[in-house]
Amino acid sequence: MYKYQPVIGLEIHVELKTKSKMFCQDSADYFGKKPNTHVCPVCLGLPGALPVPNKKAIEWTILIGQALNCSINKVSKFDRKHYFYPDLPKGYQISQYDEPIASNGWLKFQISNFKFQIKEKKFRIHRVHLEEDTGKLIHSGSDTLVDFNRSGVPLVEIVTEPDFDNSDDVKRFLEELHTIIRYLGVSDADMEKGSMRLEPNISLRKISIQDSGFKIQELPNYKVEVKNINSFNFVKRAIEYEIKRQTEILEKGETPAQETRGFDSVKGITYSQRSKEEAHDYRYFPEPDIPPLEFTYKEIEDIKKKLPELPSDKEKRLIKEYRLKAQDAFILTRDLRIADYFEKVTDEFNKLMLVQDKASVDIEKQQSLGQTIANLIVNKRLSTSLDPEEFAKKAITSTVTYIADREKMDKAVSKVIDDFPKAVEDYKAGKTNSIMFLVGQVMKEMKGQVDANTVKKKLIKILK
Amino acid sequence: MAKKTLTKEEIIHLSKLANLSLTEEEIEIYGSQLSEILSYIEQLEEVDTSKVSSTAQVTELKNVTEEDEVKEERSIKDLAGLKVNKDNYFTVKRIR
Amino acid sequence: MDILKASISKLRQLIKDNKISSEEIVAQISERINKENPKLNALLTVVEKPEVNENMKDKPLYGIAFTLKDTYVTKGIRTTAGSRLLENYIPQYDATVYKKLKEAGAVLIGKTNCDAWGHGSSTENSDFGVTKNPWNQDYVAGGSSGGSAAAVASHLSPFSIGEDTGGSIRQPASFCSVVGLKVSYGLVSRYGSIAYASSLDTVGPITKTVEDCALVLDVIAGNDNQDATTNPAKPSHYSKSINNDIKGFKIGIPKEYFVEGIDKEVAEQVENSIKLFKKMGCEIVDITMPMTRYALSTYYLIATSETSSNLGRYDGIRYGNSRKDFGAEAKRRIMLGTFTLSAGYYDAYYKKATKVRTLIKNDFDQAFKKVDIILAPVSPTPAFKIGEKVNNPLQMYLSDILTIPVNLAGIPALSVPAGFTKYKLPVGVQLIGNRFEEEKLLNIGHKFEQERGELPSID
Repeated sequence: MYKYQPVIGLEIHVELKTKSKMFCQDSADYFGKKPNTHVCPVCLGLPGALPVPNKKAIEWTILIGQALNCSINKVSKFDRKHYFYPDLPKGYQISQYDEPIASNGWLKFQISNFKFQIKEKKFRIHRVHLEEDTGKLIHSGSDTLVDFNRSGVPLVEIVTEPDFDNSDDVKRFLEELHTIIRYLGVSDADMEKGSMRLEPNISLRKISIQDSGFKIQELPNYKVEVKNINSFNFVKRAIEYEIKRQTEILEKGETPAQETRGFDSVKGITYSQRSKEEAHDYRYFPEPDIPPLEFTYKEIEDIKKKLPELPSDKEKRLIKEYRLKAQDAFILTRDLRIADYFEKVTDEFNKLMLVQDKASVDIEKQQSLGQTIANLIVNKRLSTSLDPEEFAKKAITSTVTYIADREKMDKAVSKVIDDFPKAVEDYKAGKTNSIMFLVGQVMKEMKGQVDANTVKKKLIKILK
Repeated sequence: MAKKTLTKEEIIHLSKLANLSLTEEEIEIYGSQLSEILSYIEQLEEVDTSKVSSTAQVTELKNVTEEDEVKEERSIKDLAGLKVNKDNYFTVKRIR
Repeated sequence: MDILKASISKLRQLIKDNKISSEEIVAQISERINKENPKLNALLTVVEKPEVNENMKDKPLYGIAFTLKDTYVTKGIRTTAGSRLLENYIPQYDATVYKKLKEAGAVLIGKTNCDAWGHGSSTENSDFGVTKNPWNQDYVAGGSSGGSAAAVASHLSPFSIGEDTGGSIRQPASFCSVVGLKVSYGLVSRYGSIAYASSLDTVGPITKTVEDCALVLDVIAGNDNQDATTNPAKPSHYSKSINNDIKGFKIGIPKEYFVEGIDKEVAEQVENSIKLFKKMGCEIVDITMPMTRYALSTYYLIATSETSSNLGRYDGIRYGNSRKDFGAEAKRRIMLGTFTLSAGYYDAYYKKATKVRTLIKNDFDQAFKKVDIILAPVSPTPAFKIGEKVNNPLQMYLSDILTIPVNLAGIPALSVPAGFTKYKLPVGVQLIGNRFEEEKLLNIGHKFEQERGELPSID
């Protein structure tokens, strides 16, 4: 007996949102700009131009490495990676080969299975390195057009170990990674604009199960890469398609070709990219134009101090601190702005409540204040585009039963005391029942927009 | 172990990697000239470098970087002299 | 004729004293170029209207005309690197060295011929024809900066900026009887210098005198934030200390530089130079540099690896012609470099070479513990005949065997004219200094030149 087990690894490219490019002082804000207007001798690969690395891009790569629990390598360097393609102006890309900025990390998070059991899973990060982006190609008629505005934009490549065996885990991993990158504020990680690009590599491992129960695993002798996918769902579909396609090939006793494939999102299939089929020999060697990088322990630690609270930590804290349901804490922490907004609103809410008569407040149902706010945000009952204080005020109106307007009640109480001196006299004389008459009058005056108990307490206090 | 001669197939493979289209004659000439140079270079095998570190550059510098700022004056505003079309694109024969 | 033969320091004085204007210098030189350049082919491009900026009178090189090797990009002025591939290329920006010279008041009058991409030792690899040696036009001017050396020797420009990767400034300077300085790697910005081999390329002056070398270096040396390999330290004031006493300095003579195939007359000139140093009170010390014999192999592995990479950008898409227009030598070096970096051979070739490079550098480090400078021949032979080595790349490579170790170590060296052979071909002597010790090197070179006395010059 045997079965096939998918072996999946990921390569993720993230464009950093630095002001200038990776190796020159040209603006990196290229999106939607007129072609070839954000270029200089360096990123256009003109004769004689030389690269100088962007300090911030290096720091941010270290930060990403730290967020992914990598060790930051004390010594690192840039290398030249050679191949010819019209979008690569120098005939080589400045990248990192054997001494990346960060390596050996991991990312763990909670995954719920089909039975809604929550399980923590951990996936290893192989390396994180820094390189430069290429230009953009547009195929038009008999021509391919080249725009170098994107050429030289800093690009971080994150490579995982082949630790995945299903497409759901991959999708969840990518979502977590995306959230982390956005938390760090180092990239828009906007898949549509191409500032985050995904490349899964997939192969199948044959596992033979002998009668004794002993399993024999065969390592796959091929690897299929699917290039440049721009959505998590497409990655999931591409993987599922590949698993099916490769299983069929293996079942026939053949081996899938080691190749790079593209993903057709309309048809939901992958296809061979013949143009890049020939095996590459990138001829890496140390970039002689850039002295090596070396970081002291202190420098690395100083950057680490800039690490914000990461989504999974924030999620855990929100659950604990605000007594949130796990799934709401998860949703709120997917977007740092929303998570921050939630905390601000909760804070505002608390401030507003402080000036309220505690006794007059009765929060809907038996849940925490935080959960109440979380519900409003998650179920979109109130818009998060409101100012947090505004949101908090509205939250109070819609979720709290209490004296609608303190002043209004005070006025109504005074009026009733003036209008019904007899009942007041009776109460003072010991006819405690007459208080209920007064409460009724106040309620009437306020058209029922008030809590009877609160009015009663108020009257007792005044008439004492 | 260093290699001494280059076969015709290897020369053709290298020319592809180097994006050079060579004539039959060039393939022949470079094959023999490169082999001659390689056999001269073979002398390096005498040198024991087992305990020697590499010198890929002699600057003795490290962490030479630029601040993350845009310097407009360095960008090319006028593409005159470069091969752009009327829409400001560079063009090649369609590649796929 | 006096003006044409005058050194920079003399011209500066003449301009200062209002004895001649910058316009007159430029006019005389232009006339000379028109007359001599068709014979020599030293300049590939002559600047049509050289610009003299009157507002720069207080600048150190005000009004001094100069030429640049055609490997330096000059905005709006054709730059070819000696290759057909760039025969119509008009750059979009200025090389840092050009910018600095302009800012110092110097006036660019032309771009000089060279072996295409710096690949060569004779300018026979130029796609625009060989530069002839002004001393005997049947002979090469040397290379790759042959055009620069010939231009200065034949008074087509008071000074020129060459580029030295394996001897490309020093060897032509020696062949043409002019002074050539190969600087320490990182002293002068390479920004805008069309790269041959990035870890070896250096930018330096070719001049009539050592003092002129120092005057130009004062202008071009220093950190450039567009070249990450330039040294951040403030450079010295080189021209200030050239007259210092050199008595007691230790001059090292490496025995390895005097064995393999040294021409007898070259050896004689070097012997004479040693005598002059003794006369000036210097101490002559025999030293040994055992790794010297591996330098050529090491150099060709590193230089071709790097050049195969550097020439990748010439794909004809953004500028220039297609890769078909690379000449034979460029193709040969691209092929060799592609091979030495390729999978399976990287360790045996490129990596091995970088390790031997460490050992070669160590040789120099050891030597400079004992001596102030090292004295050696520049090239094993005087200028050779045009066509003599053109079909034998390895023989051609061997003519750089004594200049190459300096590039691998990243240290400075000066080629100073020593004399002539009996067939009236110039011979220079090479003075090698420790890293960033150009000040001492130029001081010693200048004193040597003074002691040597006036040599014949081209009429």
